[in-house]
Parts: sequence; structure tokens; C-alpha cells
Amino acid sequence: MALAASFAAELRGVLGAEHVLAEPEQLRVYECDGLTGHRAIPELVVLPASTEEVQGVVRACAREGVPFVARGAGTGLSGGATPVAGGVVISLARMNRILEVDLDSQRVVVEPGVANLDVTRAVAPHGFFYAPDPSSQQVCTIGGNVAENSGGSHCPKHGFTVHHVTGLTLVLPDGAAVELGGKPLDPDGPDLLGLVIGSEGTLGIVTCVTVRIVRMPEVVVTLLAGFESTDAAGAAVSAMVSAGILPGAIEMMDRLTIEAAELAVSPGYPEGAGAVLLVELDGVAAQVEEDTAEVERLCLAAGAFEVRAAADDAARALLWKGRKSAFAAMGRIATDYYVQDGVVPRTRLPEVLRRIAELSAEHGLRVGNVFHAGDGNLHPLVLYDAEAGETERARELAEAILEACLDAGGSLTGEHGVGMDKACSMPRMFSERDLEVFSRVRRVFDPDGLCNPGKVVPTPRLCGEVPGPYRMHALERIGVAERL
Amino acid sequence: MLAAASAERRRLRIGESLTTEGLSRVLEHEAGDLTCTVEAGVRLSALHAALAVAGQRLSLDPPGDPTVGALLAENASGPLRHRFGAPRDLLLGVTLVLADGTIANAGGKVVKNVAGYDLGRLVCGSRGRLALIARASFRLHPLPRAARTLVIATEDAAGVVTMLRRSQLEPSALDVLHPGRVAVLFEGSERAVEAQLDAARALVGGDDAGPEVWHESRERQGAARGRIRFDPGAVAETLAGLDEAIVRPAPGIAYTTAQTEPSYNLLRADDALARLTARIKDSLDPQGILA
Repeated sequence: MALAASFAAELRGVLGAEHVLAEPEQLRVYECDGLTGHRAIPELVVLPASTEEVQGVVRACAREGVPFVARGAGTGLSGGATPVAGGVVISLARMNRILEVDLDSQRVVVEPGVANLDVTRAVAPHGFFYAPDPSSQQVCTIGGNVAENSGGSHCPKHGFTVHHVTGLTLVLPDGAAVELGGKPLDPDGPDLLGLVIGSEGTLGIVTCVTVRIVRMPEVVVTLLAGFESTDAAGAAVSAMVSAGILPGAIEMMDRLTIEAAELAVSPGYPEGAGAVLLVELDGVAAQVEEDTAEVERLCLAAGAFEVRAAADDAARALLWKGRKSAFAAMGRIATDYYVQDGVVPRTRLPEVLRRIAELSAEHGLRVGNVFHAGDGNLHPLVLYDAEAGETERARELAEAILEACLDAGGSLTGEHGVGMDKACSMPRMFSERDLEVFSRVRRVFDPDGLCNPGKVVPTPRLCGEVPGPYRMHALERIGVAERL
Repeated sequence: MLAAASAERRRLRIGESLTTEGLSRVLEHEAGDLTCTVEAGVRLSALHAALAVAGQRLSLDPPGDPTVGALLAENASGPLRHRFGAPRDLLLGVTLVLADGTIANAGGKVVKNVAGYDLGRLVCGSRGRLALIARASFRLHPLPRAARTLVIATEDAAGVVTMLRRSQLEPSALDVLHPGRVAVLFEGSERAVEAQLDAARALVGGDDAGPEVWHESRERQGAARGRIRFDPGAVAETLAGLDEAIVRPAPGIAYTTAQTEPSYNLLRADDALARLTARIKDSLDPQGILA
């Protein structure tokens, strides 16, 4: 479908010619996000600079029936920003101003294109920080974080994006703008803010965000514990949770990811460890001191052969660098990798990790495990070589891992989102009726299906024959047969 | 019952002509995961009693003893809102029954999950007008080993609040019992709570107090006839305009003795937000069964 020349001309009129991209080499830059396996070339890329300009673009798209996809930094890992061929990509990159720092209210008002870490940079001199910290926080944008309800490493104590965004300006798919929330919390009426955050850009385009900032803690202690196995490390995590300790972060890496991280950034993790835990405790000094002693004791009791604390900020930064570069570090030991984002109840971690090891052996592909153990959010990295024809096998293994997470009572995705990547897996977690209600809600916002279509909710066109939810066969019901 | 009402196009009000009193079981309490799943008719007091056996709690303390369904539908919170948030912040997943009898699930039972639309949060604050909440899963917290309260009698409550909020103390609750008093709650280990109390006293003065002040705060909140929202930085201006109120500075909410109008309501379709809300209501309850 080629868009009429008059359409592009209209957008040039709204935005200025230099902010409407139509040359093939310009468009190719936008063909995918962090999920590079899905690509599509949009017809146009536009770079609006204000809510009004976004409204102008969206109104034109709505009138002409042109699909549109909002995009921040393009670091998403589920294809939430994958363009629609023949559609428009609305990049929010130019809307990157911090509009207001209100320290008295502990709020910052930003445009959606502001990078996550820039919010912390703006308030750090005053002793505050912005808590959600996805690994890509140097570049990923607040708008993208809102779309995905991004998490990060410090969720166990501080929560997710949805706990830190107090207000939004949302341009609806018909071009109207609504204000949700504000600086105060708990608006009257249904929690639309909670619905929109994490809706993956399918309910509208966010053009202004009010976030909560948090006072920096009095004390931060970062502990590194080395274990023989992920089983032992998992037991230590369970022990901490049971003891009522709420660390800021509990991260785990297995042997393969430790190896890769050492090759890439030399964080100095304990040699020969089968698993390391990175535990960060923050808060008031007296509480952190007590909890630190308890965490050390619990780790040793679970079989840790080494527990050490980062001596200073530089040492702490190095430990975190190892963790945060884990995905990229995989490039050192494999040509291709596929990241999963499953969640399991925290008590089921050791069992699910054993299952992943079995699946890895069955498929003959290596799997590195790096994850947010404190909230049961796994990031298994399936390593493969596309040139050796292993892609399909890697995909099967990744799906089998997700299946194992769901079997354990977990979720398809903890923070990366459904996007393109997992839309067709949604029927494994939700019934047909659940998905039908999701679709109803989506149509309220986007009756014509133009706003980031093909994401989140599966469609027959996208997924072929969508496998229905599991239904008991009549023979099973009467006990004649069972599924094995 | 909903399906029958829907067939007859009979209007129902959840909590009145339709109650969840019969749905009062705690279905699962996974103590090791700090999560639970309950039926919506369970009273908060009963849930707390069940969780306390394992040394845990749902960190919500609204006035009265609502059912879990009412708690969510009203998005009701109490003094612990300061640190732990509103019901929507602790909710992990829901089972809803729509007005036509359709059962729909959203969210899950795990503490981190972004799959699908968050219909659980959507019904928080919906006052029973979008769907019946049948089940809910929550994130829990350990019961604190110790809790201590400091009450500061002051003419400059806003100043005291500012000092405390700018400090690195981590109170569980911070209320202004306007006029004249600020109450702060610290929870945690014995020694840490003691240390925080001492630090707070050094900063803003005040006296040790028992838990009665929190009963008073919740009771006055429950008896309030109005609720206003304010920019959290504008405590002084807000207090200046109020005779008597329970004021929560962190979320920017005051429960007032004077009556107030809700900032918008579902029936008033005079702006884009109200129209959007009304369209959501129409899509989930097209016949307008839920009054």
C-alpha cells in the first residue's frame, strides 16, 4: 500500500519537511527495535516536537486509515516498536526535554523521549533518583518505559514503572488528548493510568509523563556471593524472602553468563562459581547493617563459598557492570542469542532452572541464565548459530522454556512485554474469553485498529490458526484418558 | 445471577443487590512467595488473621473492615499508603465477572508480570460499575518485627513534613492530623526502628506515642465527608485552606470534614477523560446493568 503523496505533504506541513523521513536509507534505520528478528519498512517516519504535532499526525492517520507505531529509543526486546509495512512510525526522539523538576512534590515532568538515566541525572545533585532501572537505562526512553511498564534490577523493593508514574498526557488514536493523573496520586474513578502503563503503545501515544522521584538511601551495600550451583543460590534467595528481608535487588547469573561477563568487562566474579548472587540492600543504616549480616549468614548457610561486599562506589559499579552487560557479553561466546523473559513464583526457581538445563540438553543448545531472582523474573539466553541452521531449534527451545515457566504458575513476560514476539503465545496464558475482553478494551481506544496493530493480542492473520486454550477432552473428563 | 439480570436487563448495584459475601475463602497463601489469592468477599480483618499465621500481611489499612472487592473497587487505603501504596499497587491479578456473566482473568499470581492489559488496575476505583471482582491476587509483606510511632505537636505541620520527607528516614506512615499534629510510623527490626525514631526526634522533636493515633487517623478518615488531592509540595497551602482533615502528604491526599465533589464522575461526559471512561463502561457493560 503506497500512501498518497498528499498525505506526506500534509505531514510536512504539520511538522516541517525535515521532520518527515521518506528516503529508503532513512527508513531502514527504523525497520526493527531490539527484537531484530522482526523487521518491516515503514512508509514514513515522522518526528513531532509537541503534543499538538503528535495530534496532527495521529488525526491525519486516523482520517486516512493509516496504521502508526510510536517509537522511543528502539531498545525494546519484544518488537513493540516494530513498524507496520505501509504505515507511519512516530518517533518521539525530538520530544526530549525535562519540563519541570519539582523537588517539593518529589515529581519530575518530562517529555517521552527523555532517556531514563537523564531523570536521575537531573535530580541526583539534590539527593534524589528515579527508581526503575532497565539495563538499557542509558538510552531507553521514559515513553518506552511507560509503554512496556519497564522494570529493572531494583524492583523487589522499589517496584516498576507503574509505581513511579503519576501522570500522563495521552493522545488517543482519534487524535484527542487526555490528561491522566497528575502530581497527586489516586485520582477518582477507574485507574486508567494503570491500564495505559504497560499497554505497549496500543492505546495511544504518551506525550508527557510525570514521574515520582525517590530520596537516595542513607546507605547502600552491594554483596556478591559465589555458589557451586544455581540450586544453592536459589535456596539462598528463598531463605532471604522467607526471612522477610526486602533487598533493593537480588540478581543471579549462572556459570555461562559469568564466563561471558568476565570475558567482556572483567567484573571479578568468584572464579569457578556455578552461580553468583548480586544482592543490594539500601535504606536506613541500622536496618541495612542488620540485613547485611543476615544475608551473609543465609548465603553461607545455603552453601556460598565466598561472600564479599563492594568496598566503594567504583567496586559496586564494576559488579553491576558485569550484570548489566550480560546480554551484550553473550556476543563473546555465541554468534546469536535469543532472550526470554519468563516469570516464575520465587519458590519454584530451582526446579524451573533444572528444567531449563534438561531442555537445553535435549535441544543440544546452550542456555545462559541471568535474572532478577528477587522477583522470579528469568532471562534465559538461548545461544545458537543462525548460519549453522540452528534458528528454528533455538525458537523451539525458547518456547519450551516459556512453557515451563507457565507450568510453574508464572508469566510469559515480566518486563520485556508481549509485542510481536509473544502475541501468538498469549493463548497459553489467557483464555479466549480473557483475550476477547482485552480486545474489547482495545477497541474502546482504537476502534479502527490503527494504533500499533498486531501487538499484544493475537490475531488469526498474525498467528495463523490460533490454538485455543486447553480444554479437557470428553474422555479425560470421565477419566478414561489423560494427557501426559 | 449477573447473567440472569443481564437477560432481564435488570440493574444491580454490587455490594447491595449483589454481594460477594458468599465468596469469602482465602484460596492460596504462598508464604514463600509472599503472595496470596483470595475471593473478593473475604473481609480484610479475616485475611489479615489468616496471613498473620505465617507472619505476613497485606500492607493496606483503610478505615473500617471492607471486603477485598470493596477495597479494590474504592481503591481504599489508610496510613500505610505512605510507603506501600494503594490497592492497585499491591494487586497482581484479578478474576472479573462482566455484567453479561463473562468471566475474564487479567494479570497473574507472580509479583512481576506485564502480559496483557492490566484490567485489575482498571477496576481499582471503578466503584463496581465496570465489572464484579470475584478473585484477586496480592503481593504481601512480612509483618514488621517492631513498630514505633512519633507524634509531633506543631503549628508548622508543613515544615515538619518537609523536613521528614527530605530526610533519608523511611517511615511506613506519615499523616498530618490537622490541625496541630504530625504522626510518623517506623517499622522494621527493633534496633533499626529505635534508630529511626531517635533520628526523627532529633530532626523535628515530638514524643513517643502508641498505636492509638493511627486508630484516630483511620477513624477520622472514615468519617470524612470530602477528599481533595493536592500537589505533594503544596502541604502548607493545602493546610491553610482546611479546618480539620487527615492529610497524607506523600500521595497528596486530604480527607476533609467539609464535603467535596469528586473531581469527575462517570456520568458526566463533558470532557475527553469522562467520555473515555464512559466508553470503557459501555464496552464492558453494554446494557448498563451495573449501577
